[in-house]
Amino acid sequence: MSALRVLAIVPAYNEEEALPITLAEIRRVAPWVDVLVVNDHSSDRTAEVAAACGVPVVTLPFNLGVGGALQAGFGYALAHGYDVALQFDADGQHDPAFLDAVVEPARRQAADVVIGSRYVAASAYKAPPLRRAGMILFAAIASRAMGRRITDTTSGLRAYTRPVMRFCQEELPHDFPDAPLLILLHRAGFRIVEVPVEMRERIAGESFYTATRALYYPFKVGLASLVVALRSRRSLPRVREDA
Amino acid sequence: MTQSQIIALAVALGVCIAVFELVRRRRLSEEYSMLWLVAVVLIGVVGVWTGLLHFITRLMGAMYDTSVVFFFGIMFAFAVLIALCVRITLLTRQARRLAQEVALLRTELDALRGTPERRDP
Repeated sequence: MSALRVLAIVPAYNEEEALPITLAEIRRVAPWVDVLVVNDHSSDRTAEVAAACGVPVVTLPFNLGVGGALQAGFGYALAHGYDVALQFDADGQHDPAFLDAVVEPARRQAADVVIGSRYVAASAYKAPPLRRAGMILFAAIASRAMGRRITDTTSGLRAYTRPVMRFCQEELPHDFPDAPLLILLHRAGFRIVEVPVEMRERIAGESFYTATRALYYPFKVGLASLVVALRSRRSLPRVREDA
Repeated sequence: MTQSQIIALAVALGVCIAVFELVRRRRLSEEYSMLWLVAVVLIGVVGVWTGLLHFITRLMGAMYDTSVVFFFGIMFAFAVLIALCVRITLLTRQARRLAQEVALLRTELDALRGTPERRDP
């Protein structure tokens, strides 16, 4: 289906219930994608469950958050010569049927980062009102900082090309790879494109964006976005060409 | 010598000995000990030589000697705290990278040994 080698990175924190279903579905719907599970120091049997599904597992020695797990996944993808890395949630929210659409702009070399957005087209996805408000706010901040419309900064379904992965080995703004990462990548000169996707309800597990983080998250992401936007271009790590 | 001068000297001497002892036992790096030794010398000098403190107070247009002492004390504490936070940020970043490297190496090692089942890419 594709000449590109594509790796789906599945960050997983205590996802033993949903993970086997998610992995089986990826293999059934998108067999052209290799899968890597990054076990973010889960306290349940996430690593064993993933290994039982026959996919390679990277187990972090302590919890690093989604950003840290993704960064580790990028390290694996770079070492194993993958052209494109996909970020894919373990909890069943993402439908592997959309993977092809998310990879497509990278395949055409029309984009370096592709975001699967719930809001480009009218979507059945309904977020709780407060979370929705936050999403709109950060989409507005990111759109403003980047000079182009971004509708879904918190989407966990994304594709990254090799130069982006290499860039992210040096730099990753913070624990949540959301608006600040997108602004940073935009400022580093990467092309970011959104494609419409549908998302479902999670099968199991808890949202990463829990109530306890509700106050902390907007503050941290807001500050990180501001800092990234204020950084001079020269201070950004240079992206070397593929060797 | 007044009581306050004796106390200032005693404190300076005490901190000085404590810092030396920590360095000797390898629990504090020389790098950080320098900072504290400089601070201790300043405390000692200003504590004993009250004329200098009066002079600085006038120079700054401050009302009391004590407020000058507190001002510099708090500034020093602030500077140290910020320096430590910068250090912690660096260490956190390094620890993250190390954790990722170790995790990736472990995965490669398991794959080489063929311990867990693994689908070849």
